[in-house]
Amino acid sequence: MKKLNHKGYYFIAPFFAIFLVFNIYPVLLTFYYTFTRYEGYGKPEFIGLENYTRILTDGYFLEAFINTWKIWGLNFALQLGIALFLAALFSDLRYRIKGIGFFRAVFYLPNLITISSVAILFNIMLDWQHGSINMFLMKIGLISDPINWLNEPATAQISVALILTWMWFGYTFIVLMAGVSGIPGELYEAALIDGANRWQTFVHITLPLLKPIMLYVMITSLIGGLQLFDLPMLITDGLGAPEGSLNTMVLYLYNQAFRYNNYGYAATIAYALFLITVIFSVVTFRSMYRTNAKKEG
Amino acid sequence: MKKRLSWSLLLTLILGVGLLAGCSDSGSASGDGDEADDDVLKVWSFTDELKEPIKTFEEKNGVKVELTIVPIADYPTKLKPVLESGVGAPDVFTGEVAFLKQWTDRDYWENLSQEPYNADELEGDYIDYVYDLGKDSEGNVKALSWQTTPGGIFYKRSIAKEVLGTDDPDQLGEMMSSWDGLFEVGEQLKAEGYRLFPDEGAIRWFAKGEDPQPWVNEDDELIMTDAKLNYFDHAKKLREKDYTAFAPEWSPSWNASMSGPIAYNGGWEEVDEDAAASDKTEVFSYALPTWGLHSVLKPNAEDTSGDWGVTTGPVPYFWGGTWIGIYSGSEKKDLAWDFVQMMTHDEEFLTDWAKETGDVLSYKPVNEKIKDEFSEPFLNGQNNYTFFLDQAKKIEPGIVTKYDQQIDTLLGAQVLEYVDGKKTKEEAIEEFYKQVKNAYPEIKTP
Repeated sequence: MKKLNHKGYYFIAPFFAIFLVFNIYPVLLTFYYTFTRYEGYGKPEFIGLENYTRILTDGYFLEAFINTWKIWGLNFALQLGIALFLAALFSDLRYRIKGIGFFRAVFYLPNLITISSVAILFNIMLDWQHGSINMFLMKIGLISDPINWLNEPATAQISVALILTWMWFGYTFIVLMAGVSGIPGELYEAALIDGANRWQTFVHITLPLLKPIMLYVMITSLIGGLQLFDLPMLITDGLGAPEGSLNTMVLYLYNQAFRYNNYGYAATIAYALFLITVIFSVVTFRSMYRTNAKKEG
Repeated sequence: MKKRLSWSLLLTLILGVGLLAGCSDSGSASGDGDEADDDVLKVWSFTDELKEPIKTFEEKNGVKVELTIVPIADYPTKLKPVLESGVGAPDVFTGEVAFLKQWTDRDYWENLSQEPYNADELEGDYIDYVYDLGKDSEGNVKALSWQTTPGGIFYKRSIAKEVLGTDDPDQLGEMMSSWDGLFEVGEQLKAEGYRLFPDEGAIRWFAKGEDPQPWVNEDDELIMTDAKLNYFDHAKKLREKDYTAFAPEWSPSWNASMSGPIAYNGGWEEVDEDAAASDKTEVFSYALPTWGLHSVLKPNAEDTSGDWGVTTGPVPYFWGGTWIGIYSGSEKKDLAWDFVQMMTHDEEFLTDWAKETGDVLSYKPVNEKIKDEFSEPFLNGQNNYTFFLDQAKKIEPGIVTKYDQQIDTLLGAQVLEYVDGKKTKEEAIEEFYKQVKNAYPEIKTP
């Protein structure tokens, strides 16, 4: 048996030192804060499980949880729908659409704009008095009175979901296209020869073989979506107006910590968020995996 | 084997030493910097208004001052860790009234009531409420301010003459000295197609200044005065009677409304048909403080310069204000105090400052000498300086708490939901209490 020396540890030590200081330590410290009342000044005061009982009965947190799901759900359904449609369209052998690289870039462009610019842009466009969206809709006769988009809970949530869709469908499309190009062309050719129509090809070939990619898209989007913060923060007053409808979980966390100086409770929200993310990721992964396994079995 | 081991060890050492050297390099660099910067005074603030005073100070004292400007939204968040740890902390820093009270009771600012500052001796020299705000709960002075920021109502003279028959500030102030009087003026303006205020938020300062009491008392109880409850009704009345123009503060319409008529294109169910039919309207007046003249009205209403006046509303109030103090951990407290002294009670400097910027000072000895010289062309020659000094005297000291900024915001949002018809008054008040409780669990709500 060859004796292994431990010189390798020297090489990995810097990473672990940094990881320890900047990742593990804050995570553990945050965990400690969940048991305290801490204003950010002076010493944290130990209060046991008070923050945990509070979060379980906190109507605003529940509201934030539901809002986050509503906005993410609508956004994801649309995003995936559009991306799938485009992926099917561009991968169809019968169309042979030219310039896919060009379209890919165009679809992806919104994702390159910083979120603060997007927020300012849409804030101006959605303005109920002078906004271009209302003016356009009125001009083409779709609506007769201007809609105060960001002043009603439903329209505000829909607006945010649509903006997110606009920003992210290009990314999802690119990922799905990568998945589609991984599907052997013979399958499509065979289907073509067998006389399968577009819908059948899509449902029986593209969709099942895209499942792993869609799982990836779904989990990453879910994790990102549960952390939804920047757009709701920037597009109205940062408090979740109108009527708390844009109050997402992370926005709530931010306000508890930096607006109201409840660092202990904010830490508890962070841990709750972590738990929720883990649970839903596992559920998503499991359900996708199980249906796959069933089909194979 | 041995050779390879030493080789890799050497590599590791090189890397490690490189890292360490890198650290110590920058460490020593900043250390050297500190030594060389012995007379560099570090000042943090949230606006650039200290730039000119700093130049003056540098010339007078032959020192260097480094000003760090942090946008106000991030200012408390950025300053807090620096003050808590003392690393990279400024020698002097300013505080806005929004977070002033969060800091006066901490040890961040040096106690100026002690030797060698003896700020208590200055008590009579400052406008009461301004001096009072810089104190902690035990009465020690932590920060001073060179300015006072009371407010009034800025109005357009031509409209006043046309509709109300006079543009005299005293007579108009008399007309608007009560809520009923204010609504009466609103009615007359509406009849001629004008709007009293840009939006309902304009009256929040009057609601706050009426029956002045702190938001939270010593027993951590939220005090909901009748004046604050009436704020809901007054705001609703403004909306329902069409005395406002849907131009909320800081919005593009708000800015636009100052220079001329703005579009008013309906779409709100609450607006009656006649009002919605007229597509343009002009706003008559704005509730703004001292600084509103220079940083809001003048840039937005250049063309109507000279057509403005300033008068009193139903209640005196103040809005904003900057205080300045010395960081308790500073190693250059003498120099820092020199700077604070210049900013807050150097007669020569303050005289120049007031004349150049139009800022209304809180330091009485200078005010007595210069107040009568002012004549503001933008306000058709009116002396806004004496006007604001009179207002400042009427402000009740001792009612600002560390909660004010956030609680005011929460109240304003609920008033707006009531005005928009999304909630009944009871629901809105109930929601307001819930939100206060959620933000500050220690506060007892009614």
